[in-house]
Amino acid sequence: MAKIVMKNIKKRYKNSESLTVKDFNLSIDHKEFIVLVGPSGCGKSTTLRMIAGLEDISEGDLLIEEKRMNDVAPKNRDIAMVFQNYALYPHMTVYDNMAFALKIKKINKSEIDLRVKEAAKILGLEEYLKRKPKALSGGQRQRVALGRAMVRNPKVFLMDEPLSNLDAKLRSQMRAEISKLHRKLGATTIYVTHDQTEAMTMASRIVIMKDGKIQQIGTPKEVYDHPVNRFVAGFIGSPSMNFISATCSDTALKIGDLTFTIPKEKIEILKTTGYLNKKITLGIRPEDIHHEPKEVNDSNTFETTIDVSELMGSESLLYTSLGDSTLIAKVNSTNIANGEKITLSIDFNKIHFFDKDTEEVIQSTNQSKLISIS
Amino acid sequence: MIKKIRPYVYLVPAFLVILCVTLAPILYSIFISFIDLTKNVHKLDNPNLWSFIGFTNYINVLKDSVFWNSLVKTIIFTVVTVGFEFILGLAIALILNEKFRARGLVRGLMLIPWALPTIVNAVLWKWFYDADHGTITGLLAHLGFTDGYSNILSHTTSALIAIMTADIWKNTAFVALILLAALQSLPKDIYEAAKVDGAKPFQRLFSITIPLLAPAILVALIIRTMEAFKAFDIVYIMTGGGPGGGTQLLSFLAYQQSMVFGNFSYGAALAQIMSIFTMIFAVIYIRIFYKDRG
Repeated sequence: MAKIVMKNIKKRYKNSESLTVKDFNLSIDHKEFIVLVGPSGCGKSTTLRMIAGLEDISEGDLLIEEKRMNDVAPKNRDIAMVFQNYALYPHMTVYDNMAFALKIKKINKSEIDLRVKEAAKILGLEEYLKRKPKALSGGQRQRVALGRAMVRNPKVFLMDEPLSNLDAKLRSQMRAEISKLHRKLGATTIYVTHDQTEAMTMASRIVIMKDGKIQQIGTPKEVYDHPVNRFVAGFIGSPSMNFISATCSDTALKIGDLTFTIPKEKIEILKTTGYLNKKITLGIRPEDIHHEPKEVNDSNTFETTIDVSELMGSESLLYTSLGDSTLIAKVNSTNIANGEKITLSIDFNKIHFFDKDTEEVIQSTNQSKLISIS
Repeated sequence: MIKKIRPYVYLVPAFLVILCVTLAPILYSIFISFIDLTKNVHKLDNPNLWSFIGFTNYINVLKDSVFWNSLVKTIIFTVVTVGFEFILGLAIALILNEKFRARGLVRGLMLIPWALPTIVNAVLWKWFYDADHGTITGLLAHLGFTDGYSNILSHTTSALIAIMTADIWKNTAFVALILLAALQSLPKDIYEAAKVDGAKPFQRLFSITIPLLAPAILVALIIRTMEAFKAFDIVYIMTGGGPGGGTQLLSFLAYQQSMVFGNFSYGAALAQIMSIFTMIFAVIYIRIFYKDRG
C-alpha cells in the first residue's frame, strides 16, 4: 500500500557500454498491480531488482512513500519479493521459511504463529507446514514463496516471473490466485513477466519495455486498442497482430493487387498526417479477420487459400497470405480444411497504421492526445 | 554360463592387485598381532615357533601408560588441528567466494601449502623452528616473547604446538577447497531472498550458509579427522616423537615399537586398535556421503 515514484532511472552494468535500463519514469499509485512486460533482455528484471535494492541504481531517483530509497538496504525498504525459482530455504520447513523474516524482526512467537497460519490458510498450505520444500510440488513451492512474502505485510510486493516454472494449467490457476490475493491484500504489486497473457489478465497497468526503454504504459485495454508502435502492437495480443505493407489513396486501400474500401475516418487520419499514397504498414489483429461462409463480394472481403488451419476448440487459427505477407486469422468456424479456398473479411474499423521506417503508430492529433492523457 | 562368469574374469586382475597390496598386508598384520614375537622377530620365519597368545598383545598395549599418553596427544592433535582447519578453512572459503581482483590467482596460491608433500612441509617448518637460525624462533626472540633464541622443538608443549601449526598451515587449504566448491554451488537467489527478508550478514552466515554447507562441512571434518588421527610424517621429520614422548602420536608410536624397537606384535596390535578408530570414522563418513545419493 505504497506510492512508488521512479524518476529518470538508469542502469549501467560495470564493463558494459550501453545502458541496460534507459531513463525509466513511472509513478505507481496505492494498490496498483503493475506488470512490467517485454522480451528477455529488455531490462524489466533489472528494474525490479533496482526497486528491491538487489541492484544499484546508476542514475535517477527511486521514491517509496516519498522517501528516497536509492541507498537504503533491501531490508529497510519494506518490500517482499517472490523469485522465479522460488528461492525457498531448502533446509527449513514450510513454516520456518515463512517465519524466517519475522523471526529476524524479533516479532513474538505467538504473533509469528498467527501470521504464518493465516497465510497458510489463505494459500491452502496448512497440511504442508512441517514439510521441507523438496517434498513439495512446483505449485506448492510457489505458494510458499507467496506466503513468505505475505506474512510480512509489506508495503510493496515484487514478483519476478513467479509463474514461469509452472505448467500451463497450474499457471492459469496461480494467475487467478495471485489476482485474488492482490484484491484481498491490496498491496502495491510490481510483477515482471515475458508473458503477455499474464500482463493482460492481471495488470491494472502494463509497462511494455524493449531494449531498456519503456515503449508504452497503459491499462490492458489501452495498450491493446491503442498501441503506440509496431513493437507494442506485435507484443500484446495472441496470436500477434498481422503487419502488411499497403498504400492508401483518398478512395481505397491497396494491398498487393487487392483493393479495399476502408472507413472515411481512417483515410482522414492518413490525410491529416500526410501519409496518403505513401507506403505504410497496416496492422490487423487476427481476431478482426472473419470468415464469410456465404459468398459475398463486399469491399472489405477477399478470397484466399488456407495454408494451414489449426483447430483451437471453439475457434480456428487460419494461416494464409495477403499481399506478400503471411496472415493469421482467428475465426469462429471450426470446419475449414487445409488448402480450402474461402472468403475472409477484414474489420477495417479496427486496423492500425504504422510508419514504415519509424514503426510509430500513425494517428490523428486528437487521438494522440487521448493516449498521452491515459 | 560363460556370460555369467565373464564379468568376474575381468575383475580378477584388479582383485589380484588389491589382494597383493592391500588385503595381504592387512591380514598379515592382524596375524602378527595375535602371536608372541617378543624379542625375536625371526620366530616369524619358522611356523613351529608361532605361539598364538590371543589378545595378550592388545592387553599389553592397553595396559601401557605410553599408549595412553600417546592417545591423549593424538586426540589433542586431532581436535586442535581439525578445529582450526575448519574455522580458518571456512573463513578463507567465504573470502574466496566473494568477487575481487585477481581472485583466481589467490585461489591458486591458497592451494600451495596443500599441494606440497608433507615431507617438504615438515622440513620447511622444522627450519622455521630451528633453534639457531629459525625464522619463527628469531621472530619470537626479537618480539620479546622468548628470552633469546630458544629451542621450541625441545619443549613438550611448544613442540606439540609447533607440529600442530605446521599441520594446520598445510591442511586448512584442503578444507577451504571443499567448502569453497560447496559454496559455489549454493543458489544465489536464496541469498537475495534472505537479504529482502532482512537477514544481516551474520544471520545469513548462521541461518543460511552454514546449514546449507552442513554436508560438505561433515565430509571435510571426517576426512581431516581420519587423517589427523593417523598423522605420522610430520612427527617423524620435525620432532621424532620427542621431546620425551611429547609429540609421540599413535602412528609414530606404532612405527617406533615395530621398526625401532623390533616389538612387532605390540606395533601390530596398536595398529589394529588405530584401525578400529579410523574405521568408525570411515563408516560415519560413508553413511553421510551416500545417504543423499541413494
